[in-house]
Amino acid sequence: MKSKRIFFAYCLLLIAFSFLSSCEKDITVVLPRPEPTVVVEGKIEQGQYPYVVVSRSQAYFDPVDSSVIANTIIFNAVVIVSDGTTSDTMKLTIDNEFFPPIIYRAENMVGEVGKTYHLTVYAEGKTLTASTTIPTPVSLDSIWFKTQPPSTELGFIWAHLSDPVGLGNNYRWFTKRFGKDVRFVAPIGSTFEDRFVDGKSFDFAYNRGAEFNSSAEDDNNEERGYFKVGDTVVVKFCAIDRAGFEFYRSLEIEVSNNGNPFAAPTSIPSNINGGLGFWGGYGAVYDTVIAQ
Amino acid sequence: MRHLQFLLFSFLLLFTVRIRAQEKEKFTVSGYVKEDATGEYSIGATVYIKELIKGTSTNQYGFYSITVPKGNYHLVVSYIGFDDIVQEIKLDKDLRVNVSIKLNSIVTDEVEIDAQKANKNVSSTQMGVNKLEMEEIKKLPAFLGEVDILKTIQLLPGVKSSGEGNSGFYVRGGGPDQNLILLDEAVVYNASHLFGFFSVFNGDAVKNLNLIKGGMPAQYGGRLSSVLDISMKEGNSKSYHAEGGIGVISSRLTLQGPFIKKDTGSFIVSGRRTYIDILTRPLIKSTSPFKGSGYYFYDLNTKINYRLSDKDRLFLSGYFGRDVFTYNNKDNGFKVEIPWGNATTSLRWNHLFNDKLFMNTSAIFSDYNFSFGATQSGFEFKLFSGIRDWNMKCDFGYFPSIRHEVKFGANYTYHTFIPSNASAKSGDVEFDLGKIVKQYAHEAAIYISDDFDLTEKIRLNGGLRYSYFIQVGPFDRYIKDLQGNTIDTITYRKGKKVKNYGGLEPRFAIRYAINKKSSFKASYTQNYQYVHLASLSAVSLPTDIWVPCSELVKPQFGTQYAVGYFRNFKEDTYESSVELYYKTMKNQVEYKEGALPEDNVNDNADNQFTFGNGRSYGAEFFLKKRKGKFNGWVGYTLSWTTRVFPEINQGKEFYAKYDRRHDASLVLAYEITKKLSLSTIFVYGTGNAITLPVARYLYEGSLVNLYGERNSFRLAPYHRMDIAATLQGKKHKKYESSWSFAVFNVYNRKNPYFIYFQNEGDIKKGNLVIKAKQVSLFPILPSVTWNFKF
Repeated sequence: MKSKRIFFAYCLLLIAFSFLSSCEKDITVVLPRPEPTVVVEGKIEQGQYPYVVVSRSQAYFDPVDSSVIANTIIFNAVVIVSDGTTSDTMKLTIDNEFFPPIIYRAENMVGEVGKTYHLTVYAEGKTLTASTTIPTPVSLDSIWFKTQPPSTELGFIWAHLSDPVGLGNNYRWFTKRFGKDVRFVAPIGSTFEDRFVDGKSFDFAYNRGAEFNSSAEDDNNEERGYFKVGDTVVVKFCAIDRAGFEFYRSLEIEVSNNGNPFAAPTSIPSNINGGLGFWGGYGAVYDTVIAQ
Repeated sequence: MRHLQFLLFSFLLLFTVRIRAQEKEKFTVSGYVKEDATGEYSIGATVYIKELIKGTSTNQYGFYSITVPKGNYHLVVSYIGFDDIVQEIKLDKDLRVNVSIKLNSIVTDEVEIDAQKANKNVSSTQMGVNKLEMEEIKKLPAFLGEVDILKTIQLLPGVKSSGEGNSGFYVRGGGPDQNLILLDEAVVYNASHLFGFFSVFNGDAVKNLNLIKGGMPAQYGGRLSSVLDISMKEGNSKSYHAEGGIGVISSRLTLQGPFIKKDTGSFIVSGRRTYIDILTRPLIKSTSPFKGSGYYFYDLNTKINYRLSDKDRLFLSGYFGRDVFTYNNKDNGFKVEIPWGNATTSLRWNHLFNDKLFMNTSAIFSDYNFSFGATQSGFEFKLFSGIRDWNMKCDFGYFPSIRHEVKFGANYTYHTFIPSNASAKSGDVEFDLGKIVKQYAHEAAIYISDDFDLTEKIRLNGGLRYSYFIQVGPFDRYIKDLQGNTIDTITYRKGKKVKNYGGLEPRFAIRYAINKKSSFKASYTQNYQYVHLASLSAVSLPTDIWVPCSELVKPQFGTQYAVGYFRNFKEDTYESSVELYYKTMKNQVEYKEGALPEDNVNDNADNQFTFGNGRSYGAEFFLKKRKGKFNGWVGYTLSWTTRVFPEINQGKEFYAKYDRRHDASLVLAYEITKKLSLSTIFVYGTGNAITLPVARYLYEGSLVNLYGERNSFRLAPYHRMDIAATLQGKKHKKYESSWSFAVFNVYNRKNPYFIYFQNEGDIKKGNLVIKAKQVSLFPILPSVTWNFKF
């Protein structure tokens, strides 16, 4: 759903830049260097092994070359996931879906709908904990591709959803194109709640998200944000909990606001005790559509 | 409470002590002062008895009243820019003396050595006041040719602008909602047009403006920090005139003349419109994303007045303004519309009960609303907000003797607020955004004050105001759980009390006259404010909404202490002052950290607020040359403004975003010849306080910012210089014209509007660089305006 909050940020950004003359110059800013914090990016999905990325924050102007990026990852953390009965220690693995491609993944436990999972991370002399539950997945009634006039080749993916009656359903949308995307990508505004659509049956659409700072050709030309006729697109529609909705919503706003003076710095509510980031349970449903 | 009782008691005591047996019979000389050429009534003209060196000044309607013992006197009327009038009077009965003053015939550096009565800034008890003449303001460099009152008052010490592209202003550390802006007694909620580039006041329609920064007298209330009282011209009651100007981006026209009968009634109609959109429309290519976009605004000021009799006058004024902003990008089907507007109407009746008792009763209607609408490919979203006020007030001026000026009155307002409401639909499906949330409230006040001479050297102004506020139904209070879901709704039916507040607001000021040229003043005031502006962003935008007090939002409460030393030099040619102030402000309103605009939808706006206190203190220095070919002023303010909010910045004290350590302005005007005059402005201010990121981390492959302490960083200082030249055209019998040339930001200083960080390069390739960039708004901007007068 073209989330209205994203509109707002988008609108304000556009107004800001269309109104201003391009009187812009580079300046030098001196900022303090705080102590690094541990960041935990973790997901557990039903039927999948849970994984966690453990990294540390850096001072704002630290150079961002490949060695530095590699150094943000914490290699010697101990990551344990438990469902209350059994626990599993996650192993350090290489996975090219991630950047940097180093993560921790459990090998002996898969997620189950309705269960609560506790995460414990020992890193940099600190102990971080978090809990999450995997909500019941909600299926989309249908999905389809529709071209966006005046184009006959480019368009968006549409879906029809019947939101279950009762407040408390929160969602997140991902897409992945066969042969073009390395992994599932969430567009800005990918997460929404049912506060205004509770119990309703409606259509919505999403544009194509892009990786942060992508240099891919189709993310930098007229195809940016669009799906193309001929694409085979897998839609991953996830049910997440309230804390997840608030976290991902704030995260996306903060990332997309970068440069917008009209937005206040957004605080991102983390569920990690002792650190930053989020440990989220996903109740996922997959659907494929071919754009034609 | 005991403190207050003591104050009340001592106040009443002072009153009773004043009563003495009359020694000599007293009579009253009273009347109106007006401008000879136009019939406009003069506000704040000095009227005094030469022999007694005692006098008063005309009120907002040009009326004065002086009661002194029987005798023969010289009545002197003086007003800056006009020749003094001296009239002999034989005061053996009550006299009505109306005076017509004429514009200065010669402008010279020579000053008459006769000013026996010290200038008002030294003699009055009023401190923290600045009165600006429209003639002064019109000579100054105008931004893009538009004379702007709000920009001019920002050149005074203690008044800070909130930055370029913003017409809001801060007075002595108070927020932009703490200024009471009155246009012919009607409250103006939003005094600027969209994006804050221009104010809503058309310079051609304004007669007088008074800015009170401290020592707010009891007849004003409802805002903590200042009063900007603007009076419109009445219109020339003797003959018909047209005047106006054609400029680079806007034009204006004013028509005025007698109404029904010469010298008895008059009207004035003033209009203004910008047309940058019409001029640029043909230049925008049809393929450009801006095709179909545009911005324009128009203003209309109208006023009619009629003198029914010697004792009665009626005034009907109105203001109507509208901004229309459209952004239309056909390529991706994205469209934005922001209509915005203010409308005010006031009907006033002046009545003279007798020579000593003057009354004004006003009935006022004020409406402010804006909406923000966005459409993209069949998805529509609209956000709207507004306020509507119905207001009645009654103000009396009582002049029992030359030593006392008593004011008393009452004020009542019925407010309707629509803080923030939205509607949204996708194709045909209407999203449920809940009922439109409206809030209704009654606000009232009564006051009394007396400005009197305690001794020869000490003049005291003691005032007491009592204000009251009550929110009434129909109203729904939504109780939310931690998830943000409504778990309970408390419904109040129509007229039922939701919450009420009230309190006493003592106002004291004292002036000690050291000698005729200098004085020392001190003041103490307490104020309540029942309406608040909640601002989400660092820049004023549609996300700012006006909200009333409620069960969650307590009234803002301000206390100000001020002391000052005032000195005039060279027979009032130079005015100078030093003022020190200290203010505390309780129950300040801010949005909770992490709040977003759409959180207001289907919820009470005040569920998103958090509360705290503020404090500000500083010193203001001011020197002004009032007369002569070469005149102007220089002002400097040194100040601190901080806030403490338990839920913001972890409860630690932080600088307010408009905390400006140094603020200086220099204004100079020089009349080279009768036809050519030059003026220049120079301003300097410490940069705004902002919150910047201090660290970052990677999440899902994106760089995310971590922010430092709130407002712990400063933008680069703001400074710029403007110059203007006005060339009078040849004066024809019925018509005159002039050209104004102005250059804004003469040395093209790139003042920071905001800074942001941009990522350049590819994170995966390992060559990502984060650069800090500063965006500036206005480069050097020349403008030309042709002005005419029939």
